[in-house]
Amino acid sequence: MTQGKLGAGSRKVLAGAAALLAAATSMGSSVLAQEVGRGLPNQIGLIPGVTPIAHEIDFFHNVILLPIITIISLFVLGLLIYVMVKFNEKSNPTPSKTTHHTGLEVAWTVIPVMILVVIAIPSFRLLTHQLTLPEADVTVKVSGKQWYWSYAYSKDAAGAGGFEFDSNILDQEKLPAGKLRLLDVDNEAVVPVNKTVRLQVTADAVGVIHSFVIQSFGVRIDAVPGRLNETWFKAEKEGIYYGQCSKICGKDHAFMPIVFRVVSDEKYKEWLEKSAKEFAATDGPVKFAGVEPTTLRQ
Amino acid sequence: MADGHAKPNHDYHLVNPSPWPLVGSIAAFVTAVGAIMWMKSMALFGMKMGGFLFFAGMIGILYVMAAWWTDVVREAETGDHTRVVQISHRYGMILFIASEVMFFVAWFWAFFDASLFFNEPIQAARVEFTGGKWPPTGVNVFDPWHLPLLNTLILLTSGTTVTWAHHGMLHNDRSALTKGLVLTILLGAIFTCVQAYEYAHAPFGFKGSIYGATFFMATGFHGFHVLVGTIFLAVCLMRVLKGQFTPTQHLGFEFAAWYWHFVDVVWLFLFVCVYVWGNWGGQIAH
Amino acid sequence: MATNAAAHHDDHDHAHDHGTPTGWRRFMYSTNHKDIGTLYIIFAIFAGLIGAAMSIAMRAELAGTGIGVFPGIAKLLTGDGSIDAAKNMYNVFITAHGLIMIFFMVMPALIGGFGNWFVPLMIGAPDMAFPRMNNISFWLLPASFALLVTSTFVEGAPGMMGFGGGWVMYPPLSSNTGHPGPAMDFAILSIHLAGASSILGAINFITTIFNMRAPGMTLHKMPLFAWSVLITAFLLVLSLPVLAGAITMLLTDRNFGTTFFDPSGGGDPILFQHLFWFFGHPEVYILILPGFGIISHIISTFSKKPVFGYLGMAYAMVAIGAVGFVVWAHHMYTVGLSLNTQRYFVFATMVIAVPTGVKIFSWIATMWGGSISFRVPMLWAVGFIFLFTVGGVTGVVLANAGVDRALHETYYVVAHFHYVLSLGAVYAIFAAFYYWFPKMSGYMYNEGLGKIHFWLMFVGVNLTFFPQHFLGLAGMPRRYIDYPDAYALWNTVSSWGSYLSGVGIILFLYLIWDAFAKKVPAGDNPWGEGANTLEWTLSSPPAFHTYETLPRITGSNH
Repeated sequence: MTQGKLGAGSRKVLAGAAALLAAATSMGSSVLAQEVGRGLPNQIGLIPGVTPIAHEIDFFHNVILLPIITIISLFVLGLLIYVMVKFNEKSNPTPSKTTHHTGLEVAWTVIPVMILVVIAIPSFRLLTHQLTLPEADVTVKVSGKQWYWSYAYSKDAAGAGGFEFDSNILDQEKLPAGKLRLLDVDNEAVVPVNKTVRLQVTADAVGVIHSFVIQSFGVRIDAVPGRLNETWFKAEKEGIYYGQCSKICGKDHAFMPIVFRVVSDEKYKEWLEKSAKEFAATDGPVKFAGVEPTTLRQ
Repeated sequence: MADGHAKPNHDYHLVNPSPWPLVGSIAAFVTAVGAIMWMKSMALFGMKMGGFLFFAGMIGILYVMAAWWTDVVREAETGDHTRVVQISHRYGMILFIASEVMFFVAWFWAFFDASLFFNEPIQAARVEFTGGKWPPTGVNVFDPWHLPLLNTLILLTSGTTVTWAHHGMLHNDRSALTKGLVLTILLGAIFTCVQAYEYAHAPFGFKGSIYGATFFMATGFHGFHVLVGTIFLAVCLMRVLKGQFTPTQHLGFEFAAWYWHFVDVVWLFLFVCVYVWGNWGGQIAH
Repeated sequence: MATNAAAHHDDHDHAHDHGTPTGWRRFMYSTNHKDIGTLYIIFAIFAGLIGAAMSIAMRAELAGTGIGVFPGIAKLLTGDGSIDAAKNMYNVFITAHGLIMIFFMVMPALIGGFGNWFVPLMIGAPDMAFPRMNNISFWLLPASFALLVTSTFVEGAPGMMGFGGGWVMYPPLSSNTGHPGPAMDFAILSIHLAGASSILGAINFITTIFNMRAPGMTLHKMPLFAWSVLITAFLLVLSLPVLAGAITMLLTDRNFGTTFFDPSGGGDPILFQHLFWFFGHPEVYILILPGFGIISHIISTFSKKPVFGYLGMAYAMVAIGAVGFVVWAHHMYTVGLSLNTQRYFVFATMVIAVPTGVKIFSWIATMWGGSISFRVPMLWAVGFIFLFTVGGVTGVVLANAGVDRALHETYYVVAHFHYVLSLGAVYAIFAAFYYWFPKMSGYMYNEGLGKIHFWLMFVGVNLTFFPQHFLGLAGMPRRYIDYPDAYALWNTVSSWGSYLSGVGIILFLYLIWDAFAKKVPAGDNPWGEGANTLEWTLSSPPAFHTYETLPRITGSNH
């Protein structure tokens, strides 16, 4: 086995891979053009993000990871097809006895390491951005329950907020026109656009684990009884963004969707006022078991 | 081989067909079903027979153990345990003890999860429970330098007596062997009694508190191993009295000694981690 | 790899087979590694059919939106056909499918079945080190399986049958909070028994391989399948007791009021996840490593070339096994681990890609320059290499905690682990079956049917699992009985793929029946010069007791 042969084969394969990849990207862009906070019919890629973190995830997956793994898979497929054609019984009746090639063995150890380093740099950067909580403008406490979500808004400095409400899936039998099956809820959580929202996520103290997710925000965090997890997002576009519980939690696991409506500052203020009258009051800032939320993660 | 046919040209032991694996598995199944029915007060055909099934299954398991190991002893007596087979047995015992070590890893993991991370803000409910302290607020703990220290000394002494017995075995000193074994068994029994006394006077329970849960699970599982080790040594004593061991072939005894040392070492970890370090700064019960 | 035995054809001289027990006792009381291996394989096929039927039922449910299939299944199994019972039964099915495929299909087939049959034959040992213990390793499995089946028919969640909390069994869903009924206790004790079975089996394999290799067979001359089983056995011995500990704590939480996983008593639900995945991650390597060994032999045999980079292949598996113990929390990126913890687990997880890559490329290099004949086992092996690569690279994607944030618990993960297990481990099982069936039974199967089976399954499983990547990227969570309408297309495609695989499985059963009906003699070595491990020096089927005179290994061709 010579490296010359390998090189010739891999060049052909790479050319094919590039062509396929170009096709795949053009398919993806038609989806990217639309701004929706949920999976669309026949979609094959990620839901487009609307927060800095989600953009970074999209970039990392679509521009770095997906091309790399596609090329690797096609490279392996190409090699397999090549050996099957070139070294089958008919075309190569006498097998070689080669069992070692130091250069090759070093290469297929070192090159993957290099590829992993290329992946690791943006990966660690993204991870650090995700888990470094900026100063929050709005804090929403999210509780997963069997089988719905509760949202609590702490009272801000101006005295707005300070209420708590449940968000249940709509009755699927009597779904109003225009509402989405399995996704829309009676009470949406509302947050202002271009503001940093801190989510404190927990579950019913005597309940089970749930997981809070809104893919458009690049947010996913488990709601664990007795734990107070934190995450954050800063939505850049107004709209409705959906998620679904993603940790098995019993029979209605598939029936506790998450809906966040991102609105302008004015509309958010209006909503706060309206909701303070409508929903049960909570006193003061949201605390959990007496722990100040800001100390949670450095 | 033992079936009377031509002996193959190797030293491995081709064991005769045996009913014990099948019977043992059935007994294990019955025990499991019985245990669940007992714990959950379930009825079958209108009768709450969980306890009965559990004990019937346990008797089955114990019977299979006795019968199986009787077969092993007989095979040893009839020469099936050649040198190479004995090496296999050693591997087997070492690996068994290795798996037991990993079992204890689970208990220690639970213990350290609670005792190292008792004050993480993210674990709000735990902090509320512990009061940000370990041992948790309101839990009165044992004084490690009292009965636990005594037990440590007992087990360490038993480690030396079993070595004495081993020495007697190797040098064909039957008196030292018997005395060493009897002493080890007695020390093991005393350890168990002290442990039982301690449990009976524990100022905290198994239920409702992570402190009690990790304490009793780790020390209880260890205590069970002491019991098993003591029985193992007692069986060896009987076999010594029957003259089944020779200075060159006494795997049963050797394994009992290994097992005993393993139990000993685990106790040292328990003593240092759970009793001394884990109780540091705690409210000592009197 | 592989070894040249000094001319050794003892078994033909022993055709009369002295001391062979007969009748039902031969199998019930067996202390013979081949008979016990056969029992394991039959058990694995039986359990596999149940597990596969469950998966097809789930795919049938997901073929369209709404809940249509499971009310009927729930009615059939429990007498309650309500929508709530259906939702619960779906969760019971996903749980049982996972547990059955892992503990009662893949492990019994690869380790218990082919391991028992061929590890002693390949290393020139007359039997396993502990033949009687070997048998209890087997018999604990039906007992364990019976407990799991019982679990389906007793109360779990209030007013409902069975345990539906996923094979990972996270508390509080698996504690009294979520499933107060005895179904979960049955599942726990089922896993206890299966775990005991595997620990005993693992001790047996390690001892056999360390102590019973034929004279001259050093570890570095040992066939790769034996290597793979050795490493697998170490993973089992070191990881399973931790799971046993975890589920024991769960049992005491459920029944004796302890609070290991109950935060109100100072416990921590996440502790269970750590303990579970400390076992669970090695477990996935337990499932795939024996497959690695098998694929190496098949690739080498049909390329008529020795395995490329034998030592690299062996130590790549050692590395995968060792690193496999320190990556567990990559299953837990979303539980709220600190930044540094996540950084470490991302790093450690990516490291595993390197030895895995070494294996993939070494297999291709083994084929390179060979004279490949595409018999049925080789088709499965080549399929394995490609599909495992696809599963592997999506694993690299998921290793990155940052992007796992988007894909965790979605169908992307389902697609990933089915590519490495359903298309990896299961392909290895089929490859091994077609490779060794002539040796085990003495009969040759119908080559054409075998090829049709391969192509049906190849198209079927890819159709099933490839679209699931799309579903996951588009955000469809796993373990859902019903999904938003947008996900309908790819779910329908996926379901049709699973039906096609179902047809493939039926064809496979027919093929086995056909082989036993036609009784075409296979000959001692149906694969020719490439098949040079010791089992091919024996008759087909081998004598009841093999190697009554131990083979002597003189050379090495790697």
